[in-house]
Amino acid sequence: MNSNNGELLLITVNHETVPMEDRERYSLDKDQVRKLYETLRETSIVDEALILSTCNRFELYSKTIDPEKGADSIIEALQKFYRIDAQSIRNHAVVQEGQAAIKHLIEVSAGLKSQIVGEAEIFGQVKDAYAMCQKLGYAGSLLNRLFQKGFQAAKLIRHSTSIGEGQINISNVAVSLSLKIFGGLDHTSALIVGTGEIGEKTAKALRSRGAKSFGVASHSLERTQGVAETWGGTPRVVSEIESYLNEYDIIISSTELNEPLLTQSSLEQLNRQRKNRPLFLIDLGLPRNIDPSCAAVDDVYLYNLDDLAKIAEDNLSERRAAIKSSEAIAAKKSELIWKTLVNRGLVSFR
Amino acid sequence: MSLLGLEDRQWILLATIVFASASAIGAYSTLKLRRSAARPSTLLLVSVGWILQTIGLYARGLEYGGCPLSNRFELVQFLVWSAIALYIFVGPAFRLSLLGMFTSTFASIFSILSLSISRWDSAGRAPLFGDSPWIETHAALALFSYGVFGILALTSSMYLLQSRSLKQKNMGGLFPFMPSLQELAQINLRLLGLGFAILTTSLAIGAVYWSRELESVNVPKLLTTIAVWFAYGVLLFFRVRESLSYKQYSWACICVFAAALLSLEAVDQPSSQAVDSLIQSSAGL
Repeated sequence: MNSNNGELLLITVNHETVPMEDRERYSLDKDQVRKLYETLRETSIVDEALILSTCNRFELYSKTIDPEKGADSIIEALQKFYRIDAQSIRNHAVVQEGQAAIKHLIEVSAGLKSQIVGEAEIFGQVKDAYAMCQKLGYAGSLLNRLFQKGFQAAKLIRHSTSIGEGQINISNVAVSLSLKIFGGLDHTSALIVGTGEIGEKTAKALRSRGAKSFGVASHSLERTQGVAETWGGTPRVVSEIESYLNEYDIIISSTELNEPLLTQSSLEQLNRQRKNRPLFLIDLGLPRNIDPSCAAVDDVYLYNLDDLAKIAEDNLSERRAAIKSSEAIAAKKSELIWKTLVNRGLVSFR
Repeated sequence: MSLLGLEDRQWILLATIVFASASAIGAYSTLKLRRSAARPSTLLLVSVGWILQTIGLYARGLEYGGCPLSNRFELVQFLVWSAIALYIFVGPAFRLSLLGMFTSTFASIFSILSLSISRWDSAGRAPLFGDSPWIETHAALALFSYGVFGILALTSSMYLLQSRSLKQKNMGGLFPFMPSLQELAQINLRLLGLGFAILTTSLAIGAVYWSRELESVNVPKLLTTIAVWFAYGVLLFFRVRESLSYKQYSWACICVFAAALLSLEAVDQPSSQAVDSLIQSSAGL
């Protein structure tokens, strides 16, 4: 059975095919997507179409009436729409047919083709694109079948491999560790010492997972007040940390200090007052803000920048290691889906 | 005694095989496939094992016309039965991942141990606790509390494992599938409270009976039981006052449970009333 078939056609421009300066020319908002659908309809060669436009990729899945001229006609339509010459489009885009297009769809949906391997956001974006395509009436029996089966295959990959497991950016690793210590974050409070970017990102990530109570500490109250107002939280002064430390469960420190912010002996004293509640210390400062000996105190968990980076790197390696097995699943499933499409007469056998 | 075509020990052996299978499937799924075994399937498998064990113990009970608590084999089986019952009926409310795997491992280890040491299952014994229904209730409740403390020792071990992984920044192994430290700490407190309440009720029932028939009291058994009760009471006191770190508390729960298991040696002594009843039955009176 010939698995190439111009009836099912994919044209993709993505981070693997072109650099960002060329890629951004293909980026579309929702209104522009609607207009492109209309343009494609006017070609009268496209029977069904689905447009996926994200920050990293433009993809057009289509069922063409004329498999021989399908790709050329669509590129011509894109040329008019984008006002980019046809040769440039041919240079930027990759055209795939039949089973290869199905495999590509599964791999994109599962996050295998993402710049950050295994990220889950793309699955939602593909689903949204499919929903829009259905709403506008551009999905017929071929694309409906293809996308429903493609989503099942992508889910299978995400559930049966470690492609989406583990956090791979430092802020999310910190949040994930917080969840392993405290369960939910609804009742935890976090103190951000210093006003560095990574501290702010971590605080935002904690807030997005339910943490409500925040404190922001820096060397002067005036400076802290401004930052606390922007980030949301109680302003604190670093020098008085021992007086308010026990109000917090998570301390994120990324400031410049001459003396360690916390030492083992100061924590041991404070631990009695905090009645052994777990304390998660995240030291993002260079040089380190928290004495490493603090890790020896019971119920205290200390992580520095290197620790978090190593976890993120390990998780990413694990995801990369899962690419091969994920691709094998995608290949197997795309073959099955292709056979189903042929058997059901949704694409013609050539 | 035979029931539905199988001897009591054969039912219990089947139950042990099911517990061991649940444990092996859980471990394979988690460590090899890197997926947590689905909670409903583990629960189903463990429930099947528990039903088989119940049939085995019921067959034993028919032999005595009461709770099968006549030797150490039966004491251990009843303890395992209690721990599994707690997991089946209360465990789902805890929503603790991997608790099923840990509980089935616990059940299979103790069950295999009790099946393989033949002297633990000495024949021709009278019930250890005489034939009073009250004292039987006392004994059953005491062993049920041991089952609760068994689960407490498991969740304490889970806490220590998880805490160690976090301290050592070791994110592999069971770490991704284990519950959070806070969840484990809360459940440990509830289990300790529950176990202590059951053991206290058991001792209260026993005390009423013993105060009526002081001569029936087996002093080493009484002292050992009170020591276990006191140890858990002290632990509960310190835990409520939050005087111990969670790590110290978890270790204490495991150590006290180990001591409680050793105390079964003292419990496995028939009361004077039971001895009398055995002598009478041997003499054909």
